[in-house]
Amino acid sequence: MSNVRGGQALIRHTWLSWMQHRSFFFLLAFGWMIPPLIYLFVWATAAGGGTAGGMTRGEFVTYYLVLIVVNQLTYAQTNWTVGDLIREGSMSRLLLLPLSPLYNTLATEIAGKVVYMSFVLPVTALLALWLRPALALDGWQLLAFLPALLLAWLLRFFWGYWLALLAFWATRADALLALQDSLIFLLAGQVAPVALLPGALQVAAKALPFRYMIAFPVEVLTGALTPAEVGLGFAVQGGWLVVALALYRLLWSRGVQQYTAVGG
Amino acid sequence: MNLNSPHSFSSALPGRLVRAGRLVRVFMAASAQQALAYRANFALSALHSLLKLGTGVLGLLVVFGQVELVRGWSFAATLAVLGVYLLLGALRDLFISPSLDALAGMDGEVWQGTLDFTLIRPVDVQFLASVRYWRPFALLDLALAGGVLGVALARLEVAWAPGRLLAFAVTLGAGTLTLYAILLAFTGLVFWSPGFLFSWVFDGVFQMARYPVGLYPGGLRLLLTWVVPVGVITTVPAQALAGELAPGMMAAVVAFSLALVLASSWLFRAGLRRYASASS
Repeated sequence: MSNVRGGQALIRHTWLSWMQHRSFFFLLAFGWMIPPLIYLFVWATAAGGGTAGGMTRGEFVTYYLVLIVVNQLTYAQTNWTVGDLIREGSMSRLLLLPLSPLYNTLATEIAGKVVYMSFVLPVTALLALWLRPALALDGWQLLAFLPALLLAWLLRFFWGYWLALLAFWATRADALLALQDSLIFLLAGQVAPVALLPGALQVAAKALPFRYMIAFPVEVLTGALTPAEVGLGFAVQGGWLVVALALYRLLWSRGVQQYTAVGG
Repeated sequence: MNLNSPHSFSSALPGRLVRAGRLVRVFMAASAQQALAYRANFALSALHSLLKLGTGVLGLLVVFGQVELVRGWSFAATLAVLGVYLLLGALRDLFISPSLDALAGMDGEVWQGTLDFTLIRPVDVQFLASVRYWRPFALLDLALAGGVLGVALARLEVAWAPGRLLAFAVTLGAGTLTLYAILLAFTGLVFWSPGFLFSWVFDGVFQMARYPVGLYPGGLRLLLTWVVPVGVITTVPAQALAGELAPGMMAAVVAFSLALVLASSWLFRAGLRRYASASS
C-alpha cells in the first residue's frame, strides 16, 4: 500500500505537465491575488499618514503581501482534484491502481504549489518594491512561522478534502463551497486583519478554523501576537486539524464502500 | 412569429431594428425556459447573490467601522460605488457575459472549434454573440443592487434634483456601454490568442472597481481610468449620484464610452476576418 517510488514519479510527472499550461494557472493565481490586493490598497489609504485600527500603512502592506503568499501556499484545490474526480467517475481508475489515491491528490497539490508560486513570488516581490512594506522580524517569529504555515496548509488541505468527499453522496456541493468561500473571505483575514474585525465577527474568527488556515501564520510572522496568543493559536489550530483528519478518514472509508460510478 | 415575412429581407433600418427586437425576445424566452427547467439552480443562484451582497456590504462596514473617511469618501458614497458595481455586474451576468463567454470563454466556440456554426447564421455575428444567451437569475442581483443604491441614496442625504437622477442615468448608460466595449474587446482578442482566457483578466481588474478609484495609488488609478477603464464604469455614476460630477466630465465620459464601443467593435470584426475555419 505504500508505493513511495510510484508516488514520487506521479508527483514529478504532474508538476511537469502543469508547467506546460502555466498561463492558465498564472491567470488563476492572478485572480486569487486580487481581493487581498484590493483590501491592501483600501486599508493603506485608510491609514494614510497615521494609523487605522492601530496599524500603520507600512504594516498593512506587510500584512497583505504576506497574506497573498500564505493564501496561495495553503490554497485548497481539492474540490476540483478530488471532488470532480468522484463526480465524473474518474475515481474508479484511481482506486484500481496500486497506489493510494491520496498520492494523486498530493501530486496535484504539489504541482499547483510549484506553478502558482512561480507566478506569485516574483509578482509579490515586485509589489514589495513598489509599495514599500514595513518589516520588523524577530527571530522567534520566523521560527514559529514555519510550523504555523505547515499546520495551516495541512488544515486547509484536509478540510477541503473532507468537503470534497461529500461528492460521494451529493452530486453538487456548490452551496456549501459558496458559503465556505464567503466565510473564508470574512473570517480568515482577507477583509481585514482579524484584530480589526468588530466584536462578534472577531470571536467567530478566533473560534472557527478559517483564521488558522490563512491569517494565523501571517499574524505570527508580522509580530501581531504575543507568545501566549501564539501558543493558544497553535492549540486551536491543532484541534481543528484533528477534527479535519477524523472527518476525512470517516468520510473516505464510508464513501469508498458505497461508491458506484458511471463514466470515467 | 413569422421571420420569413417580406419585411425580414428589408435592409431599411426600422425593419432591421424590429427584427433584432424580435430575435432578442426569442433568445430571452429560450434562455428563460432552459434556466427554469432546473429549479434547484434557482436556490443556489439566490444563495450566491445574497452571499455576494453580504460579503460586499460587510467588507465596507468593517473598513468604515475603523475610520470615518477614506481619502474623502464616506461610507454612504462608497456604498453608492458598491451599488453601481453590483448593478453593472448584474447587467453583465444577465446577458453580456453568458453570450460572449459562449464564444470566447472556457469550452466556448473558439475553444472547441464550433464557431463556424455561428458564423453561417443569417444574422450579424457581433449582434448574435452579444445577446444570444440570457441568465434570468441575474435579475435578483439587479434587484439587490437597486436596494443597495437606495440605501446609499438615503444615507447620502442630498437635496433632490431631477438633474442629478438624469446625470446618474446617463453615466450609468455610459458605464454599461464601456463595460460591453471592454468585454467585447477581450472577446475579440481571443482570435489572436485562442487559448488565453482574457475575460478572466477582466474579472480580476473589474473587482477593483468595487471601491472608488480615487482610493488606489497614482499609477494604478491611471491604469484603472484610461487603460482598462473600470473607474469610469463605477466611480463616475456614483459621483453623479452624489452631485459631484462636473458637466464637462460627464460629456467626456459619454464620448469616451461611445468611442470605446466603436473601437472594440472594429477590433472584434478584425478578429473575425482573421479567423480561418476550424477543420472538421
